[in-house]
Amino acid sequence: MTKIETPEFQGTHLWDRLCWAKEKLEGKQSDYRVVWEDPDAPEECAKVTVPDPNWMACALQGGILPPVEVYWALAEDEAKPDFKKHTRGYLLHNTKPIDAMTEEQAIEYLIMKDIPQRVWRDYEKANRPRLVICKKDQLPSTRVWRNAWKIDENVNKSQKVA
Amino acid sequence: MANGTIAFDTLTTSDSKNTNTEKSIDTSYIFNGVAKFWVHFNGTGTIATQDSFNQSALTDNGTGEYTSTFSNNMANDDYSTQVTGTESGSDGVSSQIGTLQRNGDYSTSQVESNGYHANNNADADNQRMMVNVLGDLA
Repeated sequence: MTKIETPEFQGTHLWDRLCWAKEKLEGKQSDYRVVWEDPDAPEECAKVTVPDPNWMACALQGGILPPVEVYWALAEDEAKPDFKKHTRGYLLHNTKPIDAMTEEQAIEYLIMKDIPQRVWRDYEKANRPRLVICKKDQLPSTRVWRNAWKIDENVNKSQKVA
Repeated sequence: MANGTIAFDTLTTSDSKNTNTEKSIDTSYIFNGVAKFWVHFNGTGTIATQDSFNQSALTDNGTGEYTSTFSNNMANDDYSTQVTGTESGSDGVSSQIGTLQRNGDYSTSQVESNGYHANNNADADNQRMMVNVLGDLA
């Protein structure tokens, strides 16, 4: 199948790029899941983040999504006590879009974009695992006791994660 | 015929079929009224997005609790959200409408939705969850 060429999108509103992608690209359902626990809420159960198929298609295509640092800049703005509305939304639209990623690179990007930094920053120094990338079939097949799910402390690739 | 772009700020109609009185609308009104985010997902089993727009990821936070993150942030956290969903009845045949609510902190980067049984206020996973957001984009 011929790969669709991404137009030069730097300077195009990200919303318009997403419209283009929705029309031109086929969604990609990923088998990857990110299981994580919030160190600020240890009493809460493990959360499971699933990449959106249309977003994954954009990531694999390249030239559409802004660098993850743009989202961090907006998050910093929003965290300020006097925040009312974004005034640097242009960063989403004017920053050079990132190139095509592999599915694995896209998952790493997604972790840095959509999961709180306190979870993944220095996570290897934590005294128990608080973030695991796994395949869908490594998760429990039913949601029995869903609110008690925790990451298995002895997790490895061959066993269930939660 | 090649596809192109038509840029216009105002739509005008003569309304000749009805009132024969010319009417105009600023196209920004149309854009401002469009849903800026929507998603339809299955909130049971290993949750999965059926279809969506402007979502980067969906997070399963526990029974009946979900977070959708935006690809294009909203401009502020004063946007409007609509949430609805259904789950199968205990007999496996009938459907019931779960009462759903927007939950958690308002943020320009994500929206949280919550499904629960209206009869006992218990959180519940829903087979069909649908969330829309209206508002201004960053």
